[in-house]
Amino acid sequence: MTTTAAAPERSRPTISRTKQVLRLTRTEFTLFVRYKTAWMFLFLPLFLAFVTLQLPNDEVIPGFGAAELAMIASMGTIGLILGVGHPSNVFTARRESLVLKRFRVSGVPQSVIFGAVIGVVVLFSLVIAALVVGLVFATSGGTLPRDPLMLVVAVILSGVMYSLMGLLVTPFVRNAEAAQMAAMVPMMILLFTGGGVIPLEFLPETARQVMTFVPSVPAGEMAQAAYTGYDAFGGFGSAEEKGYLGLWVSALPSLGVLLAWIAVLTLLVRRYFRWDPRQP
Amino acid sequence: MTTTANTAAADQGRQDTTGPAVVVRDLRQHYGDFEAVKGVSFEIRPGELFALLGTNGAGKTTTIETMEGFRRPSSGSVRVFGLDPHGQPSGVRERTNAVLQGSGLLDDLSVDETIGLAHDLAANPRDTAELLDLVGLSDKGGVAVRQLSGGQKRRLDLALALVTRPEVLYLDEPTTGMDPEARHETWQIISGLKKHGVAILLTTHYLEEAERLADRLAIMHRGEVRVEGTLASVLAGWGDRVSFLLPEDVRTGDLPELPEAEIAVETRDQALWATYTAMGGDVADRAHRTVAALIAWAAERGITLQHLQVRGASLEDVFLRVADGAADLLTD
Repeated sequence: MTTTAAAPERSRPTISRTKQVLRLTRTEFTLFVRYKTAWMFLFLPLFLAFVTLQLPNDEVIPGFGAAELAMIASMGTIGLILGVGHPSNVFTARRESLVLKRFRVSGVPQSVIFGAVIGVVVLFSLVIAALVVGLVFATSGGTLPRDPLMLVVAVILSGVMYSLMGLLVTPFVRNAEAAQMAAMVPMMILLFTGGGVIPLEFLPETARQVMTFVPSVPAGEMAQAAYTGYDAFGGFGSAEEKGYLGLWVSALPSLGVLLAWIAVLTLLVRRYFRWDPRQP
Repeated sequence: MTTTANTAAADQGRQDTTGPAVVVRDLRQHYGDFEAVKGVSFEIRPGELFALLGTNGAGKTTTIETMEGFRRPSSGSVRVFGLDPHGQPSGVRERTNAVLQGSGLLDDLSVDETIGLAHDLAANPRDTAELLDLVGLSDKGGVAVRQLSGGQKRRLDLALALVTRPEVLYLDEPTTGMDPEARHETWQIISGLKKHGVAILLTTHYLEEAERLADRLAIMHRGEVRVEGTLASVLAGWGDRVSFLLPEDVRTGDLPELPEAEIAVETRDQALWATYTAMGGDVADRAHRTVAALIAWAAERGITLQHLQVRGASLEDVFLRVADGAADLLTD
């Protein structure tokens, strides 16, 4: 009986994962554009941003009314709608049609497959965020973000976090239609708790404290702080205008919450994601 | 379709005959109380094609999925290049590829986009134009995958599996949906891969495919390997058939009993046919021995054995008897 297999590995050419992620992201982009259902996930965040125009716009901090702050906070929900909606839908469909398995047996690493769909979510999130910035610019009399980098970081991190959440929906559903319905549950809950629909200022302090750990809150608050230059992380009641470094220091807890959720969701996706449509 | 064999592994000169590329030992897979695979063992060497046959639900796909790294064995072991394939470590995934039972293609991409993507994701890819020519899809480059026929999708699947120059290839019903011409051309491609040292696992419901391509084969039934060996050795174990039309004046009970041969009488086209299955270890001589005895018996009775036929057992004979459970009796 042969106890060990032979054939020592020869030196084979290698390809960097970054190059693979970028290449697959390009195809994800093509597929997104050709998949009309995905366009809904682009229009919905823009629609929500427009809805905030209907809110009373009493000035909360100099230069910004409540409606504008809600519109800015809605940038935290772009990744929510795109990230939870799109990957859950297409990855369930691709699992069932063996596309994901096809990639895996071809030697494409998991991180590349996940990275590409996260990449396209982040890319479109940034595009939508830029449009919302244009909207805020138009309604606030020409005010641009004070800290564009923080705004970009907030959009990127929320896109990554919600994409992982969308991927985590897929093991619990059997087809793309069920995935769309299942994705609505976290999407709706997080939409209502994110501050974009119900401003957190209206909540009692204890509830506000708890809400800072909800995944949808930190990105919205970082967007508000980044745009206004005010420390928005404890609410605008006693918010002070901060300098560049001061604002980043104030943002650290929110960054930490986002990164912690990303870490937890990554572990959960690695543990529970199913590549095979066959149920054991 | 270009019929010449490819350059799959030859470019890298990876003819390797030092040992098996794949070793499966006493593999078992449980799903709750259900045992889908019950102690399967085999190995595949470079340049060898091992055919895993069986009825639907026999455990073939579960076995392949374990080899592909999608399932952890409940017990036993699978080694590909000496490594546990579970989780697809880089030492395995960069050297293997597969044609899955279903296509696994992105319908919204064109053929060119599909093979282009596979090409760009591979570390050392084969030329896409050459591959499309090899599988006969050169004129379909701009066609959307959703518009391809089932057979054309299977050919694209094969092209995708070859992009990465695999050293181990899993082919799960690779010619399903192909017309006979495409199937024969695919067999030539697979034969070419063998010549270039690729270790291949094939599952198929086309037994002729296994007969043409397999160096060794196993027939699974209810999670177990019931029959295993080279095609010749498998067929040898199932005897040679000597058949003739039963003369009208001969009753079934008149047929002679011959040593190491079983008699069966069946009705074909409203006539009775007698079939002797010659068993015994003298594989080379047993058909002659049986025919000689029957001719002598016929001469003695002054009758002619009309439509006398001699044939070895076919893989289909073996498969059907295994599927019917006859193998339980023969192997117990």
